[in-house]
Amino acid sequence: MMKKFLKEIGFLTLPLLLTACLLEVLIQNIPNDYSHKKSYLDKNAAQIETLILGSSHSFYGLDPRFFSSKTFNGSHISQSLKYDLEILKKYEGNFKNLTAVVLPISYFSLSEKLETGIEAWRVKNYTIYYEIPTSNAYSDCSEVLSVKLSKNLYRLFSYYTKKTSAITCSQLGWGSKYKSENALDLIESGKKAAQRHSASQYQNTFDENVAVLNDLEQWCSERNVRLVLFTPPAFESYQQHLDKKQLNATVEIAQKKALANENCTYLNLLNDTRFKAKDYYDADHLSEIGAKKLSLLIDKEIANLD
Amino acid sequence: MLFNSLDFAIFLPACFFVYWFLAHKNLRFQNLSIVVSSYFFYACWDWRFLSLILFSTLVDYGVGIGLENEANKSKRVALLWTSICVNLGFLGFFKYHNFFLENFSSAFSLFGSEIKTTSLDIILPVGISFYTFQTLRYTLYVYKRRLQPTKDFISFAAFVCFFPQLVAGPIERATNLLPQFTKKRNFDYEKAVDGMRQILWGLFKKIVIADNCAQYANLIFNNSTDYGGSTLALGALFFTFQIYGDFSGYSDIAIGTSRLFGFHLKQNFAFPYFSRDVAEFWRRWHISLSTWFRDYLYIPLGGSRGNKWQKIRNTFLVFCISGFWHGANWTFVIWGALNACYFLPLLLNNKNRKHLDTVAQGRSLPSFKEFLSILFTFGLTVFAWIFFRAENTSHAFQYIAEITSTSLFEAPKFEGMRTALTTVMLTFLFVLIEWNGRAGQYGIEHLLLRWKKPMRTAFYFTIIIGILLFGGKEHDFIYFQF
Repeated sequence: MMKKFLKEIGFLTLPLLLTACLLEVLIQNIPNDYSHKKSYLDKNAAQIETLILGSSHSFYGLDPRFFSSKTFNGSHISQSLKYDLEILKKYEGNFKNLTAVVLPISYFSLSEKLETGIEAWRVKNYTIYYEIPTSNAYSDCSEVLSVKLSKNLYRLFSYYTKKTSAITCSQLGWGSKYKSENALDLIESGKKAAQRHSASQYQNTFDENVAVLNDLEQWCSERNVRLVLFTPPAFESYQQHLDKKQLNATVEIAQKKALANENCTYLNLLNDTRFKAKDYYDADHLSEIGAKKLSLLIDKEIANLD
Repeated sequence: MLFNSLDFAIFLPACFFVYWFLAHKNLRFQNLSIVVSSYFFYACWDWRFLSLILFSTLVDYGVGIGLENEANKSKRVALLWTSICVNLGFLGFFKYHNFFLENFSSAFSLFGSEIKTTSLDIILPVGISFYTFQTLRYTLYVYKRRLQPTKDFISFAAFVCFFPQLVAGPIERATNLLPQFTKKRNFDYEKAVDGMRQILWGLFKKIVIADNCAQYANLIFNNSTDYGGSTLALGALFFTFQIYGDFSGYSDIAIGTSRLFGFHLKQNFAFPYFSRDVAEFWRRWHISLSTWFRDYLYIPLGGSRGNKWQKIRNTFLVFCISGFWHGANWTFVIWGALNACYFLPLLLNNKNRKHLDTVAQGRSLPSFKEFLSILFTFGLTVFAWIFFRAENTSHAFQYIAEITSTSLFEAPKFEGMRTALTTVMLTFLFVLIEWNGRAGQYGIEHLLLRWKKPMRTAFYFTIIIGILLFGGKEHDFIYFQF
């Protein structure tokens, strides 16, 4: 009786398991931003002089083409400081010419982390594609286990049938999807983004992120790499809805870092008037026009440091 | 560890293997494997609270044996009160401490005097309301000499912590469950297959129905001031199916899992939304809790005997306490009182036991009168759920005020309306399947028995793919918080 039962269970589960394995292989073979950047770093880390890290604010906001040094954008959407540090550590032996690390300290950078936010599903990308073991959850080792089936089927269909690429960034890692002609309503998006980025209780996360930032700073100091911190520009509708306490605490930390370490510099561009409405894709992300402006500005800052 | 998690999908086969292949020759080993698995299962939430379960187990085991050996009535009463105080004491402290403190302070401030109180940062141990009620019931049975206490501590510990029903019931009668731990259990193919089927249906209810409905119920309830009456009414409907799919889904998985291990747990939900009146609804909703309150509160208070005022008092007490059991919030008390108001007219007119059979038995469709009764009862239930789901009483009244405004007649509008349509269609399909299977223990019990094997297999695959394809964002089971 037990044999019969196990046979029937096997008959039901085996096809499912085999299908899941096949899906896993097929999905992992689809090139995406993570696999693209990993592959670029594997091959070209030694040539990189300026490395951009951070979240969507630098992913969409900093285009390496406008930097005078050999620059690569290694940021990803919602990439928190912990992952920035992990990427640096992973390639530390390869970064032979690295002179500067550019890192955004956005309003949420110290009060949020990838694992607990709405983009937590991205954690698996670091385990699968970067081979950085930052998560203990076994679901983070698999696309099938961490992403809904409907979404995975759509990805398969898009890539294998419609031949649509899943890579949304340029060769040098800049997120090129946020075009000015498709810009969103700046007023509405500002309010929503500010609400999404405001954490009601963030003290523990804040302390953890400050500790990671210290490690990042130390990593750069030990290798004589300049750490360029900046708070990215945002449209006024975003600024108006920010929690002043959270904002001040974040800016204060970045300012202190710059004051205490001559290897570190900080630029607060949050309400920089050089950025106009046309520079934004939405209230807290720059379009390609704004990205060019910001990239030139940061590049100039690095040049001034030299 | 949630039933709808990958962890459980690994944990369950592992327990099954140990239970039937390594420990099957010895009943004590089998029970021990249940205790170890259950403690591990619970420790995955918070290992610190294992001490509470262990303490409760030790006290009730000792009290049970003490009651058996003690002939002196007053000493027996003292033993009984020890168990009551320990179990309800834990429950009172962890669940109601802050509630009483805050209300006590508020009551004094009404008279102009301020009392400084400090709320404790208390974490509610998961499942405390369930296992304390189950062990308490054991003691009460032994006290009334309706059950021989067990001297086998391992069996008793397994009875208290049996993982399928540890965190959210069903709250089993000791007379039903405990003897099953003391008898040899042999693997039964039919039972195991039926258990798997029930687990599958429970997962469908939870992952497809409840988790999808939860998405919209949460959106609407959490931003209720942004929406008009019709959207809020839809939000209440989504919650109605969320809570049913969630809790009855959990019960199905619990009962099905028990069957895999050779145990039989009582039905906890008997298609309550097809009830023709509120009295029938309460015979079909969370049956194990309703029975508990009936046995240990309603009947000792006099039940439906006595004069009219006694009946009213008893009904209100039972419903309000039952509401309060769900959580330390006035919304639950009002939910209970509202149900008492629904129930009372039936009781006072001796119509509370009018519908004891299955609705439209032997027929595919209900009569028009039956349909109207079902619809009316369902409407009352949906209305009461608003209190259950609301954050606080003012939120509930605000929500109801908007529903009863003219905006009820406008078209509903909220973010994700299109995707919500899929959920509505899935829920409709689910209701049809449940209606078809209303005479069984769970929705697909009889449906599949009539089908040939290839059809059955195809149906299983359809359900599995449905779960994988339409599964909503993973949510905790609602009743874990109680």
